[in-house]
Amino acid sequence: MSLMKLGLVRGLIGEVVGALAGVFVVMLIRAATGYESAYSAEPCWVIGLLSGSIGFLIGVGALTDWSKWWVGQETPMHHGPPVGQPAWTRYFGVDYNHKVIGIQYGVTGFIMLMIGGGFALLFRTELARSGLQFLQPATYNTVMSMHGWAALFSILIGVGGMANYIVPLMLGAEDMAFPRLNAFAYWINVPAIISLLASTYYGWDGGWTVYPPLSLRGGAGYQFVFIAIFLLGFSSILGSLNIIATIIRMRPPGMSLFRMPIFCWAVMATSFLQLTATQFIAQAFLMLSVSRALGMGFFDPAKGGDPILFQHLFWFYSHPAVYVFVLPGLGIISEILPVFCRKPLFGYRWVALSSVGIALVGFIVWGHHMFTSGYAPYLRVWFMISTLLVAVPTGVKFFSWLGTMWGGKLTFPTPMLFVLGAISVFLLGGLSGPVLATVASDQPLQDSYFVLGHFHATIFGGFVFPFFAAIYYWYPKITGRMYNETMGKIHFWIMTPAFWVMSLGQMTAGTMGMRRRIADYEQGLAGFVNPHLGTIEVIHMAITLSAFVIAFGILLMIYNLFHSAEMGKVAGSNPWRSRSPEWQIPSPIPEHSYARPITVVGEPYDYGLPGSYVTMAGAAAGDD
Amino acid sequence: MPKSSTHPRHFIIVGVLVAIVTLVLYVVLERALPMPAQASLEALTIDWLFGLHMLVLSFLFALVVVFMVYSIVVFRRREGDDTDGEHIEGSTSIEIAWTVIPLILVVIFAFIGFKTLNDITRQDPNSVVIKAHAQQWQWQFEYEGGVISDTLVVPLQHRVHIELDSKDVIHSFFVSEFRVKQDAVPGMVTHVDFTPIMSTEEYLAIADRKGEEMKVRCAELCGLSHWSMMAPVRVVPENEFTAWLHREMVKVNPALTKADLSKTSN
Repeated sequence: MSLMKLGLVRGLIGEVVGALAGVFVVMLIRAATGYESAYSAEPCWVIGLLSGSIGFLIGVGALTDWSKWWVGQETPMHHGPPVGQPAWTRYFGVDYNHKVIGIQYGVTGFIMLMIGGGFALLFRTELARSGLQFLQPATYNTVMSMHGWAALFSILIGVGGMANYIVPLMLGAEDMAFPRLNAFAYWINVPAIISLLASTYYGWDGGWTVYPPLSLRGGAGYQFVFIAIFLLGFSSILGSLNIIATIIRMRPPGMSLFRMPIFCWAVMATSFLQLTATQFIAQAFLMLSVSRALGMGFFDPAKGGDPILFQHLFWFYSHPAVYVFVLPGLGIISEILPVFCRKPLFGYRWVALSSVGIALVGFIVWGHHMFTSGYAPYLRVWFMISTLLVAVPTGVKFFSWLGTMWGGKLTFPTPMLFVLGAISVFLLGGLSGPVLATVASDQPLQDSYFVLGHFHATIFGGFVFPFFAAIYYWYPKITGRMYNETMGKIHFWIMTPAFWVMSLGQMTAGTMGMRRRIADYEQGLAGFVNPHLGTIEVIHMAITLSAFVIAFGILLMIYNLFHSAEMGKVAGSNPWRSRSPEWQIPSPIPEHSYARPITVVGEPYDYGLPGSYVTMAGAAAGDD
Repeated sequence: MPKSSTHPRHFIIVGVLVAIVTLVLYVVLERALPMPAQASLEALTIDWLFGLHMLVLSFLFALVVVFMVYSIVVFRRREGDDTDGEHIEGSTSIEIAWTVIPLILVVIFAFIGFKTLNDITRQDPNSVVIKAHAQQWQWQFEYEGGVISDTLVVPLQHRVHIELDSKDVIHSFFVSEFRVKQDAVPGMVTHVDFTPIMSTEEYLAIADRKGEEMKVRCAELCGLSHWSMMAPVRVVPENEFTAWLHREMVKVNPALTKADLSKTSN
């Protein structure tokens, strides 16, 4: 089989050709208009990356069907792997099946998680001891900044994976509403990732927040990052549009909104956030990009601009984005918990609406990231109150989970362990929030390691743990085989305590006065030794060791997933005895998921009652 | 153990456990999350608020975790039991309760948050005004009479008003012992107020200081040497401060007389 048959390979060639063409055109224009040197990294690569990305999309084939439509050609939907090629090749090219795209998203998200984590391990090794060891400040700044965006890519893409794979299955739908758009929304992530990773060559030092005027100076790497996020934003907007259309239009008969599986509620709330907020960061980054490229002064006070304006635009997206990161994960918790408690989800409607509540409140709290920025001081009171309000719908979720567990018959296979771990970790993240919401107590902690501890707990509790729970939970559905339970449990039991040490360690360092994003710290930071925990160096060492333990746990998981795909026990169609529709069809799921259309006849989580949630057309009642 | 999950005995046991765990957690957190020395009035207010947060945090954490662990232990599935749990779909009155009670807590904390914010941002017309100029990667402090210093010298027990500006990128004025932080933004002047209550001498006398004095540290990523952008802080009694300022003023402008000085000084 020729490599050229793989869409990904053709796409990469397209990327290179497109990029070189773009660079060449800019050099031609520069030479023609009398610049001293035709090549200048920044203008050449801004155009080169854009044309390279278009080249990728053409090469991979994400635009093929649409361009055929343009000239009036019909393109029948192709099902199954590409003709005459092995089944695995479909994962490396454009495929319209949502299950394939879901896996593509999921695996890409996982790879980005490892890359983002790898960057973290690099600078954590440097920070284990006081003093500059092997990362010089310039490299440290780039690595630290890359950790931020690589990890956020991983989350956004991972969320896309869960939503794409699971939502159509839960709705009993054949596919997403717009399969071609779905494939396009996935594939545009790849040039985005290439652009992001390429930024390390020139370097950039702004952290993931890239506040100007700092981001208007410094390396050409910034432009790579702006373009990467601009492309990723396309994926978010198009993907969420698709999800909303799918949930609204493709539910089976009988599935009213309040009879949807709860994960669909979470994903719908998330999608509305992505659809309406992503434009703001795209615009903010576009403004930065043209400020650098064309000398415009949106954020430069010397040219009449305002640096704080950027922060407003940035956080108007990036705060809702935090809820984009965690809402699907919280949906996974609500989804999996009833299965392993053998009890209905406590207060289904309240849990469903709390997602919507969090999403709505999420739009009016952005200013809490800027308490010390110097904007109108009285506004801080408003943002403090709105931020504290987030606790109310979040509290509803926690208490409803407790209500679900209470009086159940709990079992603890790996997915359930990760769900319980997620609840405990997200609790730590959530409860450390109000300290940062009240302006006075935020003042010493803003931009400190306390904030790091807080949001790593929210992100691990709201995304990483539920993501892992989801992988273990749906693994038998995806592969038809069971993962290795013992290894899964070992993964949980080494990763969870390590995470607790890391997160609490960060919070401790923060209260001691450790600033975030510094390449080195003085040994006697804050001039004192914590009598109970030791010096700041001891705490940093603990954080670094925990990071490595977490990484080891994740490697174990990868081994488990690969190993069990061939060696695992055959799982059967419904190993968890779930009521959800996707568990009523064979594992692995056939190309056309549902041979017969489904009808919803009951409640999704009525464990403890006879009767089922869905019936399949043609099957006698009680057949399943 | 009682069969029904709504039997009062469950809730009595959980209630007692929540109380115990709350106390233990609070004590542990106090030790695990230490703040640096309290060198300003603001530190007292902020640490009090932080402590209050820790108390509520301990309680809520204990509440959720005890209920969770209790369920894990008591409501786990017994060997050979394949039946489902009790069929309870929810309870509107309980849901309303756990919506309204946190809402009340939010209102209380919003009020406390507002009061403490007012407290730490209190303006005093008699404040010593110091201009702090930030630039990559150093601090400079400007006093009345054009006195420029690389060390932030502030008077003990006297309100200080810092006016911040920046020459290049965003920096942040952060002294952890004072618990103050304020960004310095190019193109505008921001400000922050505090009242030092611990002199450098007292500060250094506390054990484990290793001779390190308080420092202004930049808390907003500002490029290559952000990590090392610091300036020493010296807190001195008011008369010493005035004497120092007068000496420096005369250095800038030797023509100043004693009478001029007593007019301009605080």
